[in-house]
Amino acid sequence: MSVTHDEVRRIARLAELDVSDEVLPLLGEQMSRILEYVAQINAVPASEGVKPFVPGPDAVRFRADEVKPWPLAFGPAEFAPAFRDGFFLVPKLGQFEDADT
Amino acid sequence: MSDPSEALASAKAAADRIVNVKRLNACLTPIKELRKSLAAQASTAHPSGVLYGMPVAVKDNICTLEFTTSCGSKILEGYRSPYDATAAAKLKAAGALIAGKTNCDEFGMGSSTEHSAYGRTLHPFDKTRVPGGSSGGSAALVAAGAVPAALGSETGGSVRQPASLCGVVGIKPTYGRVSRYGLVAFGSSLDQIGVLGRSVHDAARVLSVISGRDPKDSTCEDRDSLRLPNVPESLQGFVIGVPKEYFPQDLDAAVRRACDRAIRLLRELGAAVREVSLPHTAYAVATYYIIAPAEASSNLARYDGARYGPRFNGSEDVRALYRTTRGDGFGPEVRRRVLVGTYVLSSGYYDAYYRKAQQMRALIAQDFRNVFDRGVDLLFTPTTPTPAFKAGEKLNDPVAMYLSDIFTVTANIAGLPAISVPIGRIKGLPIGGQLIGQAFLEDEMLEAAYALERAVPAAEEA
Repeated sequence: MSVTHDEVRRIARLAELDVSDEVLPLLGEQMSRILEYVAQINAVPASEGVKPFVPGPDAVRFRADEVKPWPLAFGPAEFAPAFRDGFFLVPKLGQFEDADT
Repeated sequence: MSDPSEALASAKAAADRIVNVKRLNACLTPIKELRKSLAAQASTAHPSGVLYGMPVAVKDNICTLEFTTSCGSKILEGYRSPYDATAAAKLKAAGALIAGKTNCDEFGMGSSTEHSAYGRTLHPFDKTRVPGGSSGGSAALVAAGAVPAALGSETGGSVRQPASLCGVVGIKPTYGRVSRYGLVAFGSSLDQIGVLGRSVHDAARVLSVISGRDPKDSTCEDRDSLRLPNVPESLQGFVIGVPKEYFPQDLDAAVRRACDRAIRLLRELGAAVREVSLPHTAYAVATYYIIAPAEASSNLARYDGARYGPRFNGSEDVRALYRTTRGDGFGPEVRRRVLVGTYVLSSGYYDAYYRKAQQMRALIAQDFRNVFDRGVDLLFTPTTPTPAFKAGEKLNDPVAMYLSDIFTVTANIAGLPAISVPIGRIKGLPIGGQLIGQAFLEDEMLEAAYALERAVPAAEEA
């Protein structure tokens, strides 16, 4: 299992993560080693009949569907990088240059 | 304790002790802020609470109104939560004092507390070694005697592994026993808040307080708080299984000796001990390191510089804002896991990795059910394959680091409760033994842990 530099770049784009060219060789090597290690589970024969296991309650419990003030000690203006008039401010949308991903 | 002056004295003493162990870099809260907050908390704490005046440190990925919640990450540097996690709110309602935020691997991703943006935490007995992780700050503070208990969190062993390496008690409750409202999400099908304590009793008292239903967390079971068991006279009637897969040929000889001694003591206490098999154990770490990064890649998508934390490198459009903030804000281990998680969920790889890992998870959980269905009450295993390792030793080899979780990940995969109890020393370094219980039977697990703790000479060489 070997992850190429192009694959790391493609995955980084999917993950919305800047990855510099300098770290690509090490990152590619480490991802390859991790993926090679975890791929050992494929040595176990296919187990299609196994019911998926998810811990926790058997069914989701819903709260009453009612509008209540959210009990926060302070609002988003205190912790957001930029916030005005009830909106989080971000730069313009720009181009989505990699529609292929 | 029910006198406000005693609570104030307890607050001051805790702050003094935390200052005394500042060199460990276990507490991220500036000391002036800590002193001021502890004094304020002590003056308003509930005197009738069962933890009145007890200082409890809290891992930096659990939201508190006091102090920042940075998750050991630059991407949340200076973040103040506008609400308390339910576990923190319950501690305060019981009269406990939040004694600062503890250092951890970034977002809980690591086994050594070396992956913190705020520097590594030192092992309390040997500064050249790691305290384990990711709740290494909590473990180090408890082991150094600064606080009697601390909250940590577990996704694959992040409470029990540092507890073992630092010589304290670490409890991971059943998935759904403790509310996760306000625990910053890493791997949502695995995450649980846990407790580190200087004794089983201290840890269990805190667990009892934070456990129980919470309408704010739909994964928290609709159950009452955990009732603490009495310390048993013997373990007569207990059947304890020893899974052979946790004692491989190449297990560290001293760890094996410590475990053999603990097993002998469990027998002497009256427990019936029998060998059992959990045949899919060998695939647990691989399964975990597919599921956890996959869930992390989704959970950490929210950190994009738009809503919380600082922004990095002024960005001309929103896409660049996301990428530069995440690229600069996340440390190397988080970046690696987000990329691996995105990879295993991406088109063409999903079936071979994520889907297969979900099937393996079911088989691992079934192994436990098979053993418990055959009359076994609890399992005993080593908590970690070795005592504390040297700082830097595994930093450049992620798989070697991941393998230090080899005996702990299974309880998270199967959603079971487990506890690490100190069982001896190896060349002066502590090592823990683990009891794994059945879902929501923490009381039985704690009974056995009480008995083991009293019987085992934890400060002696194995």
